Amino acid sequence: MTADKIKIGERAIIHEILPSELTLNIMEMGFLPGKQISLLQRAPLQDPLAFRLENTVIALRKAEAKLIEVTLEN
Amino acid sequence: MPEVITPEKLSTFTVALIGNPNVGKTTIFNRLTGLRQKVGNYPGVTVDKRYASVKLGDQQATIIDLPGTYSIYPNSEDEVIVHRVLNGLDKSSKPDFVLAVVDMSSMERGLFLVTQIMDLGLPMAVVLNMADTAEEQGIKVKAHALYKALGVPVIQTNARSNKGINGILDLIGQQMFEKPTSFLDSDKLLPAELSANVREKFTLNNTYQAYQLIRFHNNEPILSQEDHDWLHEQVTQADFDLKATQIKETQERYAAIQQVLEQSVEKTDIQKKRLTDQLDKLFLHKIGGYAIFLCILLLIFQAVFAWSAVPMDLIDGFFARLSGTVAGWLPEGVLTDLITEGIIPGIGGVVIFIPQIALLFAFLGILEDTGYMSRVVFLMDRIMRPFGLNGKSVVPLISGIACAIPGIMASRNIGNWKDRLITIMVTPLMSCSARLPVYVILIGIAVPATNVGPFGLQALVMLGMYLLGVVAVLVTAWILKMVLHFKERSYLMVEMPMYRLPRWKDVLITMYSKSKTFVFEAGKVILAISIVLWVLASYGPSSAREEAIAAVEVPADGASEEAMLDYRHNLESAELESSYIGIAGQFIEPAIRPLGYDWKIGIALITSFAAREVFVSTMATLYSVGSEVEDELTIQQKLKSEVNPNTGEAVFNLATAISLMVFYAFAMQCMSTLAVVYRETKGWKWPVIQTVYMTALAYVSALIAYQLFS
Repeated sequence: MTADKIKIGERAIIHEILPSELTLNIMEMGFLPGKQISLLQRAPLQDPLAFRLENTVIALRKAEAKLIEVTLEN
Repeated sequence: MPEVITPEKLSTFTVALIGNPNVGKTTIFNRLTGLRQKVGNYPGVTVDKRYASVKLGDQQATIIDLPGTYSIYPNSEDEVIVHRVLNGLDKSSKPDFVLAVVDMSSMERGLFLVTQIMDLGLPMAVVLNMADTAEEQGIKVKAHALYKALGVPVIQTNARSNKGINGILDLIGQQMFEKPTSFLDSDKLLPAELSANVREKFTLNNTYQAYQLIRFHNNEPILSQEDHDWLHEQVTQADFDLKATQIKETQERYAAIQQVLEQSVEKTDIQKKRLTDQLDKLFLHKIGGYAIFLCILLLIFQAVFAWSAVPMDLIDGFFARLSGTVAGWLPEGVLTDLITEGIIPGIGGVVIFIPQIALLFAFLGILEDTGYMSRVVFLMDRIMRPFGLNGKSVVPLISGIACAIPGIMASRNIGNWKDRLITIMVTPLMSCSARLPVYVILIGIAVPATNVGPFGLQALVMLGMYLLGVVAVLVTAWILKMVLHFKERSYLMVEMPMYRLPRWKDVLITMYSKSKTFVFEAGKVILAISIVLWVLASYGPSSAREEAIAAVEVPADGASEEAMLDYRHNLESAELESSYIGIAGQFIEPAIRPLGYDWKIGIALITSFAAREVFVSTMATLYSVGSEVEDELTIQQKLKSEVNPNTGEAVFNLATAISLMVFYAFAMQCMSTLAVVYRETKGWKWPVIQTVYMTALAYVSALIAYQLFS
């Protein structure tokens, strides 16, 4: 699944950033295979999404979150 | 006796301060340099160059504060600067040393940038900042282990509490920077032959520099066409896949950083609820979040319009008195008139905006510094998107209620060019403070002071004018989104930093330096236009002018003081009417007649090009109230009683007043804004399009308004 499907409070491990013109921008922010992310907040209109990555919180639009392939952690 | 150090004896060197956004880099810069900061320009771009000279012993260090960035690969205008400075493409600000600031609680991302700089081979040192928050999160950095792993000096600071600042000064003073060995093996990234060729041609020190040049040759206008073509040829020959290489570099770099961190960082898992997360529940709440944002907006409104009224009146009065005093000192003549009627009011016209601009910048500074601004972006992004705008467009648009110029300048941090361009194009439609005096006069004339429910009708109309501006922004942005086609994809990636209390000193410094930039940027244009308009309003074809002046009835000897005053006002008005501007006003009358304006209003439309509020003083002169009258009521009464000699009807009926307000709401009557748009878009194309569309919008809307109300 992709990161836009994560529910609030759920944690997931990134396993791939799908190829697009934004791949690098996403990676540079620290979204890399093997990293754990969790969804902290959805904006009131369900988009953008605020992800916790390590000690930082980064807001991405759904369209960008769709580029991040993840697996949910139990 | 201490030796006197002359500037020539000082050895000078340049230090570039660099780091991710929100790592406290600017605080460190402020602590190191205080108010010695200067603002300059980088060649070819619009980003302000902030730098300061600091004397350390017998040395002089110039410290440059580079824009915050996550990597040396630029995504926005700001970040292009970082790329150029570090790669030595900008000869005027080539640094001798780099001081990289890293947020201790976000080491991984910080080191990403640090190791890229290491690979460029620049002598550097690393500052680990925000030690206190890192500790709260259970993060400990073994500085010595990190030093051993990186091979460059590492110091810890806490810039907010001033801890470690002296350490940084010592480090700079003793030049304890070290030239690092490269972190990643760049030779694995680039084919050997390609690397060798590029290094030789451009005399570069290492492969990573060659790689940077290759990476950017397509969109680096600083390179000559010849160099560009040569590089392109080389890349094609070597069949080199840039994009894949860069992704590989990013992954390998992060992997290598991970190893460094394992040796040098200790993490204890503290399962503490972060205060920031709690605050976000409130500030990002689907109803409460917007309610709080609305309250903050109202507070900014209140400050920009109510609190600034007192200093603005003082400034207004000061410049009026200054003109009078100077006129008394100097002998009568053209030069004196130029100074007292052209230059002094021209400067006054700029200075009067300083209280509003400064307050606006203070508020924006506080919102930025506390971390709230990125929450506004988060809240507003989805709402702005259908209109072709972006969450980051909100700040420029809010600034637009004070003045479009700082608003347009604030659009720089929108990374996406299409979103940024649309923001620039629509920001001048927000009702800026120069329109306010125009609205006040016209509403006073045309709208009865009755109440609708608990609200005054006049206040409601005023609110309506502001809403009209907002609606125009959204509709125009939407149309631009439909019309403009760019290949670039719109995106949003914003870090939401932890909430902090604002650092007042930083807020003040930001306010001061931004206001200064505004005064000089807009001031130049406003002053120049004021002088040109003064000349056009003071001179005219001599025969017609003499006739007009001679036609003014001279009161008999011994006439009352009142009659003399009337005479003077009539004379002033005759002079203006027969000037070049007066003639221009009559020339455009056929075009503006359908909007309900006579040629006198036409004159005011032209003089408004210096600044919209000049409308008021021009009308005062034209209708012989005397331009020195400060009392708005006097002008209002006079204008109300004005009758069109041809039709016998009042000139300022409701329809004309509404039509004029609508015209002022939409028309591009601000040369300074055009100058800034020219600067920000690097050409005349967009300012010209902006002027044309805004004028057309103003004309058509005013026409419709006039027809509806008459």
